[in-house]
Amino acid sequence: MKLNEMKYILDESVSMLWRRKAANLISVIIMGLSLLILIVFLMVTLNITGFIDKTSKETRMYVYLNDGVSESDSRDIQLKLLSETGVEEVVFISREEAMEDFRETLGENNELLDALDFNPLPDSYRLKLKEGFVTSAIMKAISERVESWEGIEEVRFGKRWFEKGEKLVRNFFIIDIVLGLIVFLSVVFVISNTVRLTISNSRETIDILKLVGATNKYIEIPFMIEGAMQGVVSSLLAVGLLGVIHWFARGYIQDLVFIRLDAIALFVFLCALLGAVGSFAALRRFLKS
Amino acid sequence: MTQDSRIIAGVYHLSKEFGRHFSLKDVSLQVSNGEIVFLVGPSGAGKSTLLKMIYMDDLPASGQVVVGPYVSSNMKRKTIPDLRRKMGIIFQDFRLLEDRNVFENVALAMKVTGMRMGEIKSRMTEILTRVGLYHKRYEYPRTMSGGEQQRVAIARAVANRPSILLADEPTGNLDPVATKNILELLFKINAGGTAVLMATHDINLVRSFGQRIIYLEAGSIVRDSEKIFVGDIRDRIEKSSVSESAERLAGHEITGEDEE
Ligand SMILES: Nc1ncnc2c1ncn2[C@@H]1O[C@H](COP(=O)(O)OP(=O)(O)O)[C@@H](O)[C@H]1O
Ligand SMILES: [Mg+2]
Repeated sequence: MKLNEMKYILDESVSMLWRRKAANLISVIIMGLSLLILIVFLMVTLNITGFIDKTSKETRMYVYLNDGVSESDSRDIQLKLLSETGVEEVVFISREEAMEDFRETLGENNELLDALDFNPLPDSYRLKLKEGFVTSAIMKAISERVESWEGIEEVRFGKRWFEKGEKLVRNFFIIDIVLGLIVFLSVVFVISNTVRLTISNSRETIDILKLVGATNKYIEIPFMIEGAMQGVVSSLLAVGLLGVIHWFARGYIQDLVFIRLDAIALFVFLCALLGAVGSFAALRRFLKS
Repeated sequence: MTQDSRIIAGVYHLSKEFGRHFSLKDVSLQVSNGEIVFLVGPSGAGKSTLLKMIYMDDLPASGQVVVGPYVSSNMKRKTIPDLRRKMGIIFQDFRLLEDRNVFENVALAMKVTGMRMGEIKSRMTEILTRVGLYHKRYEYPRTMSGGEQQRVAIARAVANRPSILLADEPTGNLDPVATKNILELLFKINAGGTAVLMATHDINLVRSFGQRIIYLEAGSIVRDSEKIFVGDIRDRIEKSSVSESAERLAGHEITGEDEE
């Protein structure tokens, strides 16, 4: 490509953006709002999965020992627990520590405990499971096995609550994926239509460019740059609006997570790419006819 | 296929169907370097379609079109811009970019070839002076009369010094004065050595020039005034609707408001 030609193509791109600033503004607003729906959806998903993840990481199983289990038997139990598949960590909690914790949990009302002249709590082991093993089925299997051992009083992990939670999570993911797909396809639909509209509004310009002998490159590059710019500006608009929504929502949900900066950069880049490729595809179909 | 180097554009046994009701049928014609030719026929005869085939916006189903070194049968999408830069094309509706001024409209044809700005500017002065619009170079099409807009279109068409100019009803939207101006300008351009092929439905407009006229009717060439026809061609012409419409038109005075 000649240097002059390259320069003219860039001139053309800039002047095209400028000449059609009103139409471009409308396109950018339409695209930005539809992208906003997509990233609001992403942020909600991100926060819910984050919450699920955190909850599953914080899940512990408690193995309560019978009264009067000897220290060496207790050690054996600890070792046996450690060798169970899926168990990552086994922490001993003496009945005294358990009492302290209990006292702390009660706070102000802990004088009630002073009335007790003995400690009713048993020694216990707190199990942390490896990632991927925090499911009700695995925990049920472990607890059944462990409960059959000598010296074990009972194993607890909030079974009922957990099963309900699991079902909820499963339903959430199905709904999330279906909804996500719908939102994504709608956004792609809106954007590609907006781009196609831009191109067909330029039908005359394109015809004239062809008539005077412009190469496809000369016609395509300005439109691709325009598409990319629309992608960048509309995605930044969407991110900005999401920021505003996030700021307001923080008033209700303190630890609401925002989309990570690198994910935003990727999002903006992908939107630019979508804009450029969308323009290119729309033009190609147009130039062939 | 090669053709005589004196021929700038040739159509050879071109046939093509367009939908159910229209086809170009075995059309052949040649335009020599520096020649001016009028393509005349009633509306719907296929003049625009035939010109399209010559600027290769469409390719023949059978037969060939040859323009300079470009042959329709081995034309590639990539070489179309090269062809377009070597011919000028104007239309009834001017086809100017409304959002650009005269300078920018004309410069476009040169910019797409990658010409240096210095060269573009010096040519611009020459071309715009030739069409008499140098003083209006920063005006926008919508502020200009039809005749002026067509002159801008002509300036753009000749900017790359084409060897042939195709004109499809260039005066179709113009009043008589502007029509006369544009025809004069086309002759001036032709006098400069550029071949001109102009389509019009209005035989009265061009019959007095004493130039070659090709008659097109229902997709066939019924008469080429330079060719000697075998058989009683006169009879055919007299019965044809071209002559009918010509007679009809001959009875009409052209009316219209003067421009400017
Ligand atoms: N792509 C096409 N498909 C079907 N019919 C067409 C097509 N292009 C042109 N025509 C028809 O061909 C005929 C000739 O059109 P045109 O070349 O514009 O005639 P003219 O320029 O002589 O008035 C018209 O009847 C028009 O409707
Ligand atoms: Mg026509």
